[in-house]
Amino acid sequence: MKEGLGFDQLRKILLEQDREERHELARKLHDLDDQLNSRERLETKVDPILKDQETRFQDNFPKLFGPQITETIKTQIKDSQDEVVEALYPIIGRMIKKYITSEIQKLNERVDHQMELAFSWEGWKIRIKAWISGTPQKDLVMSQLIEPKIEEIFVIEKDSGLLMGSFSRQASVDQDMVAGMLTAIKAFVEDAFTSDAQQLESIDYENFKVVLKSFKSFYIAVVTSGGMSSAFQDKLDDLLIDFADRVLKKAREEEDPEKEISGSLEEFFNDFDNADK
Amino acid sequence: MPISKKVILIGHFGVGKTSLIRRFVHQKFSDEYLTTIGVKIDKKVLDLDGLEMTMIIWDIAGETNQNKVPKSYQLGAHGVLYVFDISRPSTYENLHEQLDYLKGLLPLAPIEVIANKKDLLSEEEQAKVLDSIMHPSIHTSSAKTGENVEEIFQSLGKAMLG
Repeated sequence: MKEGLGFDQLRKILLEQDREERHELARKLHDLDDQLNSRERLETKVDPILKDQETRFQDNFPKLFGPQITETIKTQIKDSQDEVVEALYPIIGRMIKKYITSEIQKLNERVDHQMELAFSWEGWKIRIKAWISGTPQKDLVMSQLIEPKIEEIFVIEKDSGLLMGSFSRQASVDQDMVAGMLTAIKAFVEDAFTSDAQQLESIDYENFKVVLKSFKSFYIAVVTSGGMSSAFQDKLDDLLIDFADRVLKKAREEEDPEKEISGSLEEFFNDFDNADK
Repeated sequence: MPISKKVILIGHFGVGKTSLIRRFVHQKFSDEYLTTIGVKIDKKVLDLDGLEMTMIIWDIAGETNQNKVPKSYQLGAHGVLYVFDISRPSTYENLHEQLDYLKGLLPLAPIEVIANKKDLLSEEEQAKVLDSIMHPSIHTSSAKTGENVEEIFQSLGKAMLG
C-alpha cells in the first residue's frame, strides 16, 4: 500500500511537466485554430503581408509586365487596325474638322479683305507689282494672305559651323548649337546625296522653312514662317547678297565681329519687314 | 571678348567619346551604351586662365578608319581629341596611321590622344599598353570616374590658343 502511494507520487512528479506542456500545446492549437477560423483575427495577420505584396507588385509592375503589355497593345493595334481607326476616328476627325473650319474661317476673312482691296489703290499696286516683277498676281495675293515672315537669321562659318552672328525674334535654343547642328545637317546632306559640288538650299518643317544661302567661307540660314512666294524668295536672296557684301566684309575687320554682325542683321531685317508692309 | 573653337572627338566606336563629353559638359556618366548616329553637337564655356573660350564640341560617330568619316564633319576643326579604349587593342592598333591622316587633313589643329577607360586596367597594365603604343604624349582618362577629363579639355583649349 505504501509502495503504491509512493509510485503514484513518483508518477505525479514525472508526468506533471508533460501534462502542463500538453495543456499549453492544446491551448496554442486551439488559439491557432481560432486564428485560422476567425476572419477578423486572420485578417489582422494576413492584411499587412498582402498589403506589402500589393505595394511591391505595384512598384514592379512596369518592369515585370511593361514589355508584354506594350507588345500585346502593339499586336492588338496591328491585328485590329479597323477597330482602332473606328475608335479614334470620332476624336481625331472632330479635331481635324475643328482646325480646318477655323483655318477656312480665317482664310475667308482674308479673301474678303483682298476682294475689298481688288479695286482699291492697293489692288492696283499688286497688279503693277506683279507686272513689273513677273510674279503671278495670285502668288502675290497668296503671299499676302499667309504673310511670310523672317523669324531667325544665323550667319555661320562654313567649315567650322561657328556662329558669326545672329538675329532672333524670340528666345530660342542655344544659337551656337543650332549653328553647329545646321552645319552638320548641311554637311551630311551634301556628302550623302550629291555627287558634285551641290548645296543644300532649304530645309522645310511644317510651317517653317530654313533658307540657306551659301557664300565662299560662310553661309546664312534664314528661318521663315508663312507662305514663301517666289517674289519673297527673290527679295530675300537680293537682301542676303547685299548684306554679305556691305556688312560681313566690314564686320570682319571690327574688334567684335559677332556683335557687329548681329546688330546689323537686326537693322537690315527690320527694314526688310517694314518695307513689305 | 569670348572666343569660339570647334573641337572634334573621333576614334573607334564604343571607346567612350560620348561619355567623355557627357562627363565634361554635364558632369554625368551612364553605363548604358547608345551608339552615336552621325554627329552630335555640344557646347561648353571654359575659363582658361581668365580667358573665356566657347568650345563647340562635335561628337562624331565612331569609325575604325577616320577616312570613312565625312570630311565636312572634320574640316574647320580647331582642335582634335582622338580617343581610344585602353582595354581594347583593336581601338589603338591603327593609331599612328589615323593620326597621320588627321594631321594631313587638319595641319594646324592640335591633336590630343586619349586612352580612355583607365578604370578597367591596373596601373601596370596601363603602363604596358602605353609602352607598346610608342606615342610621345597620351593622356589616360576615365569618363566613368571623371579622372583627368576636365584636364584634357583644358589642355586642348590651351593648345588651341597656340
